[in-house]
Amino acid sequence: MRRILWLLIALAGAAGWGMLALHRGETVSAAWLVIAAMGTYLVAYRFYSRFLAQRVFGLDDRRATPAERHNNGCDFVPTTRWVLFGHHFAAIAGAGPLVGPVLAAQFGYLPGTIWLVLGVVLGGAVQDFVILFGSLRRDGKSLGQMAKEEIGPVTGLLAMGAVLAIMIILLAVLALVVVNALKGSPWGVFTIACTIPIAVLMGYWMKVWRPGKTLEASVFGVTMLLLALVAGRYVAESATLAPIFTLTSIQIAGWMIAYGFLASVLPVWMLLCPRDYLSTFMKIGTILLLAIGILVVLPPLKLPALTRFIDGTGPVFAGKLFPFCFITIACGAISGFHALVASGTTPKMLRRESDARMIGYGGMLTESFVAVMALCAAAVLDPGVYFAINAPASVLGGNLQAAAETIRQWGFVVTPEQMNALAGSVGEASLLARTGGAPSLAVGMAQIFSGAFGQGLTALWYHFAIMFEALFILTTVDTGTRVGRFMLQELGSHVWKPLGRTSWYPSIIITSAVVVAGWGYFLVQGVMDPLGGINSLWPLFGISNQLLAAIALCVGTTILIKSGKARYSWVTLVPLAWLLLVTLTAGYQKVFSPLPKLGFLAHAALVEAQVAAGTAVPNAARLIFNDRLDAVVAGGFMLVVLLVVIMSLREWLLVLAGRKPVRMSETPFVQTAETA
Amino acid sequence: MFQNVVATIRRLVGMPDYQGYVDHVRACHPERAVPSEREYYEQYLERRYGAGTSRCC
Repeated sequence: MRRILWLLIALAGAAGWGMLALHRGETVSAAWLVIAAMGTYLVAYRFYSRFLAQRVFGLDDRRATPAERHNNGCDFVPTTRWVLFGHHFAAIAGAGPLVGPVLAAQFGYLPGTIWLVLGVVLGGAVQDFVILFGSLRRDGKSLGQMAKEEIGPVTGLLAMGAVLAIMIILLAVLALVVVNALKGSPWGVFTIACTIPIAVLMGYWMKVWRPGKTLEASVFGVTMLLLALVAGRYVAESATLAPIFTLTSIQIAGWMIAYGFLASVLPVWMLLCPRDYLSTFMKIGTILLLAIGILVVLPPLKLPALTRFIDGTGPVFAGKLFPFCFITIACGAISGFHALVASGTTPKMLRRESDARMIGYGGMLTESFVAVMALCAAAVLDPGVYFAINAPASVLGGNLQAAAETIRQWGFVVTPEQMNALAGSVGEASLLARTGGAPSLAVGMAQIFSGAFGQGLTALWYHFAIMFEALFILTTVDTGTRVGRFMLQELGSHVWKPLGRTSWYPSIIITSAVVVAGWGYFLVQGVMDPLGGINSLWPLFGISNQLLAAIALCVGTTILIKSGKARYSWVTLVPLAWLLLVTLTAGYQKVFSPLPKLGFLAHAALVEAQVAAGTAVPNAARLIFNDRLDAVVAGGFMLVVLLVVIMSLREWLLVLAGRKPVRMSETPFVQTAETA
Repeated sequence: MFQNVVATIRRLVGMPDYQGYVDHVRACHPERAVPSEREYYEQYLERRYGAGTSRCC
């Protein structure tokens, strides 16, 4: 009976893939995409993750977990697996899996879907699982500590530096997504601005008025937030208020930089913690709504399976399908950042070793499904509309007529009237060239939501989606700035001791300013970039995130080899090899490609030549410097990943040849007291 | 029932679970003093947002 069920699931998944592959030139229902993905996830979870859990890792329920041995009622707490699953998922799900697939939709829906599903099953979920397993057996140690202990101190230091650099790029690119979503949108700006006083009120509630009553403060906060969302419409329609909240890109960028600095300097209870709760509630709620919406509506996918832009001429970002599809979709398929969560709070809360399978492997499958839903939301748009929203203004031309003509030349149809009507229906002045993925995702989500939960509220749903994305991106920006500050303080303490005192105000202000200046510089660079910034920054982020994943997989492989499981080390080596191929190819092309659209150095040379020829290029010197800086950053990332791989390889060979005694830092076996 | 739902939501979002902590201390470490809810919240903030924690994209 069981076998028949699994056979049916496998067949359904295969049928889904078949429908996606064979239906060329006509619209396919999103149902097939969902069935293909779900079928593959279920089969992979049932068979591959069981193989990993039993054969490769040898998870053992008789072994006491860190949560049991160190139970202190706060961070080490044995937690029921369903609750921990939700907790872990809320910690790993961010803006990455929502934005990446929307951008990659310029290749059509098929490449993104295949990479999301195969990448997660063989790569991303394995990475999360192996790091969770490693940390579980080491009292919940972090990725950096494991890299240091298992591979070597230099690798540990490199990993830490890489995390800081990645954080800077990540914060800049996510902030840029918010800037592009809010520019010229009084409704959006008003709603997001309201989150700050709401958070401060919640903060006082939880700290001063009714200490520790986090849940009732959150109910108040979410209610106020929804009221602010509804009130936003009246602000946008008011002749006096609308101009106050209509901001340009550079103004929004300035406010965000100021906000990031304040959030890092102010006490956490005032701003950071309440915003964190708000954004977690919104995140879980919206993702559930989206899943219900897609399953209820099962919208047709209007985007083709493959577009002509697989040849590298796409307007959303430059580069061919290989390697750039695999760089653009980082989170959702495989994300190095998850290694930080899987070696953070989660391993300290596992009640039984075998729960790691559902939480590590299963949690990542769920994140991949969120990414598949984001792809669906982009693919329900007319391709013409998708490109009108996502292509930069300099490519489309200044007005709707020019944009419609450019898009017609690409082979898609969109009329100026259609764009005007769409912008009007979502309560925006214009949707043209709103790059960054968030606006097109919000339009797609608004279509799905109003299809599922009633028509006529499209504008409200659109701004709900924008608010949801901006809210939790800003939460990443504020917590990220703070985490970056702590890292910098720790690194800085090697140079000058007092810098390491995490609650000493001069040190807090200096290091916060450095971190904010770091991402702020790249953010302003993106805002001023004539191609819209996403074009250059998103690939840089993708490369850096995959680089961190490669470091995590190196740590995972080392753990497997040292625990005598070398014959199974292909489970981490195969995704590692693929990531190296993709990251290094993409990095090389971004630096050295002779095409100015793709290569940083070629673009710098082009601007230089234009200036030499007497063409007026605004901010030419700045553009050239930024191109070279981006090239150095990409080159630096590649160098770090190569160094880590070489050092890991040396360690593996020494251990395998028996020339080095195997020293593992795994904690010794302790029998569990729990009666299973 | 209601208490369970509340505790589950708290865990999901990563909110402090004061009652759970009090129960734990009373059961396992009866010699220790139980902090007030305000003190517990302040310790929680330091644990959750202090140095050495990390976040995701």
